[in-house]
Amino acid sequence: MTNESIWVYIQLNQDKIEPTSLQLLTKAKQIAEDKPVWAILLEPTTLTAEATIQQYGPDNILRLRDDRFAAATDEELADALEQVVTQYNPNSFLFPATTAGRSLAPRLQAKLQTGLTADCLDLAFDGDTLVQVKPTYGDNIMCDIICPDRRPQMATVRPNIFKAVRVPNSQTEVVSATFTFHPETTMTILNTTRLISQTASLSDAQTVIALGRGANQPKTIELARQLAAKMGGVVGVTRPLTDDPQFTHDQQIGQSGQTVAPDLLINLGISGAVQYTVGIQNANRIVSVNTDATAPIFADSDYGYVGDATEFLEGLLAQVK
Amino acid sequence: MKIVVCIKQVPSTNDVKIDPQTHNLVRSADGVINPFDKNAIEAALKLRDQTNGEVILLSMGPESYRESLLEGLAMGADSAYLLSSRALGGADTLATGYPLSQAIQKIGDVELVLFGRQSVDADTGQVGPIVAEYLNVPQVTFAEAIDLTEDHHLIGKRRLDAAEQEVEVELPAAVTVRSEMNQPRYATPRQIQKSFEKPLTVWTEQDLDLDPERIGLAGSPTQVTQVYAPAAAKKRVTMLTGTPEHAVQELLQSL
Ligand SMILES: Cc1cc2nc3c(=O)[nH]c(=O)nc-3n(C[C@H](O)[C@H](O)[C@H](O)COP(=O)(O)OP(=O)(O)OC[C@H]3O[C@@H](n4cnc5c(N)ncnc54)[C@H](O)[C@@H]3O)c2cc1C
Ligand SMILES: Nc1ncnc2c1ncn2[C@@H]1O[C@H](COP(=O)(O)O)[C@@H](O)[C@H]1O
Repeated sequence: MTNESIWVYIQLNQDKIEPTSLQLLTKAKQIAEDKPVWAILLEPTTLTAEATIQQYGPDNILRLRDDRFAAATDEELADALEQVVTQYNPNSFLFPATTAGRSLAPRLQAKLQTGLTADCLDLAFDGDTLVQVKPTYGDNIMCDIICPDRRPQMATVRPNIFKAVRVPNSQTEVVSATFTFHPETTMTILNTTRLISQTASLSDAQTVIALGRGANQPKTIELARQLAAKMGGVVGVTRPLTDDPQFTHDQQIGQSGQTVAPDLLINLGISGAVQYTVGIQNANRIVSVNTDATAPIFADSDYGYVGDATEFLEGLLAQVK
Repeated sequence: MKIVVCIKQVPSTNDVKIDPQTHNLVRSADGVINPFDKNAIEAALKLRDQTNGEVILLSMGPESYRESLLEGLAMGADSAYLLSSRALGGADTLATGYPLSQAIQKIGDVELVLFGRQSVDADTGQVGPIVAEYLNVPQVTFAEAIDLTEDHHLIGKRRLDAAEQEVEVELPAAVTVRSEMNQPRYATPRQIQKSFEKPLTVWTEQDLDLDPERIGLAGSPTQVTQVYAPAAAKKRVTMLTGTPEHAVQELLQSL
């Protein structure tokens, strides 16, 4: 018998819930119609993420508990998930398109012999069929993809596309799953070092000052840092600036970097290549400064200024309170 | 030590349009090696030079993929296999991973399989973990560094979402490579010349032990139902004017 539930994988980054999992709970509830939404939680006994998950309103939390989940390999996680999927036969199973999700989901897909669509930007149900909207060719083309005959219908979904909304559900039922943890003997996790994450702060930031190749002088970078500090924001960069040792890949915005969703984004000296602009689609208000009036970045902006990035920064620093 | 590098040929640019009449994709005919796969080839060549190993390229796709295999041979790989036939066409990631894993088994005694972190056209990054699952070997995805140890293990550094992880796996294993790992080498004219003499074997589904239900279109659980240009979510921009001081003033008033 097929269970018509929609499953959402709750990714744990050590002791924190990956925000994309909560965003997916909200999205799943919006598209579910009558289908129950389940949060699937693989958790060491030292954690209790249930209370937080319950705030986002799933009908069920399916909990798999084992201390080895504190540092489990992709294979160990996929093996445990395979066991519960074959017990409950969900309609669909959604994962964050994070590093962890994109490593785990395809391994599980191969075990289950079903379809998986990567990095979706939108999801909707057409009856029982999950229509998955996936970009290709560097976000230049969109495809609708379905998996008509096999279950679950699996997808990874890009972070920060949907907003997580709190709708506490006092009826959320926590179900303990029966499964066996099978250790992967050929792989050992030697250590996991938490990064004082610029990634997290960039994708969560409410104000982002983004620097491109037209704003790469030491003085400009210093002014941007001062402005970010003053506004309680963070500095992000385009890909060319990651060649500068003072920036890391974690600070890169775009297709092969982070997706940002700030209230205010200020682009300085950025041309607006599509690989960059896909990362800023969820910014609320976008201000761009470029010396070239024809720069494509202006088409993605609410406010534009044709002029020098450094001078504009100086103006902002002087006038922002 | 045999190292297989799975490579995909991708269009030379992602500047793809939809033909408004036929709704077909209009893309450049030129193909290049998926950029991340070049990092995987580079990683393989470095390991080979440490261990006196052998680097074998493997790709599934149309005859035109020969070009990329030749390019990889010119970078220094030793031999190449192309899985190519009508029956294998139209495959999604599941139906791509399956023939690749069967080919790796046929090549035999492969200790390390390398992939790019993802292809830049399909952008899924699924084929590596699928092959790892079919081969029943450990996987190190999104690796930034890999080293071999003396006792037949590999140590890999991965970048996770909010952490860095070091892992040790017993060979055979599968690794997907990030571009941060290395700078791919260029082919020298001498290597380019030599590449034409290196073995490049084409296998069809007949050469591999394949379940016909698991290949090509029939073996692909997913279907593309529509292809379209993204909705132009372009904004209406208000231009700020005058001196930078004036523009900033204007901006702060409107925000
Ligand atoms: C597969 C792939 C993935 C990619 N992923 C990413 C990604 O994730 N993120 C990313 O950013 N890029 C990515 N890129 C690269 C991307 O295509 C562009 O090359 C890059 O975004 C350009 O960065 P930029 O705007 O800083 O530089 P440029 O394109 O060189 O633009 C610099 C701009 O600064 C302006 N300028 C110059 N001087 C001044 C001044 N004094 N004041 C103000 N403006 C000035 C210029 O007019 C110009 O518009 C990717 C590319 C590929 C092929
Ligand atoms: N047709 C193919 N032939 C060989 N290798 C492939 C093929 N498709 C994908 N790969 C490998 O799998 C990686 C991930 O591809 P993808 O899952 O398409 O994003 C690529 O970087 C290649 O290493």
